[in-house]
Amino acid sequence: MNSTPRILNRILTGLLGILLLALGVLLVLLAGVPAVGVWWQDWAGGVWSRWSGLLDRTRFPGRQESWLWLVAAVLLLVVIGAMVAWLAQQGKGRAGLLAAEEDPGEVPGSVRIGGGVAEQALRAALAGRPDLAGATVATYEIRGEPALKVRVQPRSGVAPHLLAAEVSALVEALDAVVGKRTPVLIHISSGARSRFGRAERVR
Amino acid sequence: MSHDTASGHAGHDSRSFGAGAAGSGAAGAGAAEASGNAPFGAGAAGMERILHRETHSSRAVASAIAAVLVIVLCVCALLESAVRAIGQPPWLVDPESAAENIVALPGGVPPLLLGVLGAVVAMAGLFFLLSAVLPGHRARRLLRDRRAAVVVDDEVIAAALARRARLAANVTQQQVMVTVSRREVLVNVRPTSGVPLSADAVLAAVREELDAMAPSPSPEVRINVASAGVIGA
Repeated sequence: MNSTPRILNRILTGLLGILLLALGVLLVLLAGVPAVGVWWQDWAGGVWSRWSGLLDRTRFPGRQESWLWLVAAVLLLVVIGAMVAWLAQQGKGRAGLLAAEEDPGEVPGSVRIGGGVAEQALRAALAGRPDLAGATVATYEIRGEPALKVRVQPRSGVAPHLLAAEVSALVEALDAVVGKRTPVLIHISSGARSRFGRAERVR
Repeated sequence: MSHDTASGHAGHDSRSFGAGAAGSGAAGAGAAEASGNAPFGAGAAGMERILHRETHSSRAVASAIAAVLVIVLCVCALLESAVRAIGQPPWLVDPESAAENIVALPGGVPPLLLGVLGAVVAMAGLFFLLSAVLPGHRARRLLRDRRAAVVVDDEVIAAALARRARLAANVTQQQVMVTVSRREVLVNVRPTSGVPLSADAVLAAVREELDAMAPSPSPEVRINVASAGVIGA
């Protein structure tokens, strides 16, 4: 329901996976196969001598250090920033407004209904039910449009289709109050509270 | 394939793969035409996408682990290269001598340590690669509703079916275990010793409950009555 970048997640974790897998296989081969060790020392030695030559040629005038180290530090900073940005994208997408529309009446201005209205109304309506171990309501933004996610945790043994029908009746009552049909997702989930709590025996 | 069971066991994300992966979107639309019911998500715009996202894993956990791993490695390398750039003594290891050690690799490190290290790194790589490549089905199903889109965890379905089977078989809660996997519902019943139990009646009751629920994808029901009964239940 949130706007986690799923394709990006797949691409980046896949890339890291391929890299780590190749590295691990190389290490195992180095440990186990002597021929690979000979090839590795030859190949990596060539690469390293090229790089150390480059480091020698890029020294600060009159000093020992190469300015390539500064370039490397800047590049690493960029990578770290990109990773933090990627991390911040996970689980994004909560919204604050349930409805925001221009008022067509005579009074100038617009009408805004906060997501808290729907969240608190539904939560209060679900609070007293004995067959629920918990209920949470959250507003999300899907492609610029607000949507509601109702997550209910029934006690073990509650029939999900009957529960869904009852929750959706509550949602229809909310539609009448707000005056707008918001997309709604009802997630009937299980958790520790429904798993280990007492079963609902009488309904 | 992992299962969600109704009795006390913790449920895991179902990770099934194969040809029979009839997902939510296309299969759901076909079923809607056949039964003439409302479509999943009550026809709201963009709901198909939401339902697909709800029934498939987002890989947020694997991504967060990957990002933190890369950040930690980069911070170490950043410290070393920054220290090197201003000509200070190294923090943990000098990058040039580290590179020379890596070039000389099979030597300098015990082969066993190197092999174990390589195996661990390869396993981590396999974890990330598989989590990226596999379809990532979650153990969830869709229900029809005229107003809202409804997603149900398999564990909830298993608990409801277990309750129904328990009532039909007239046994205690501990004698019934229902396992819901992607394509199958398995009802395990241990009868009370000396009390006859009709497997067909229990099966019919569970089927009836499942038909009323009408989850998508719809699983097959099998029943397994234990040969040994329970005494004193």
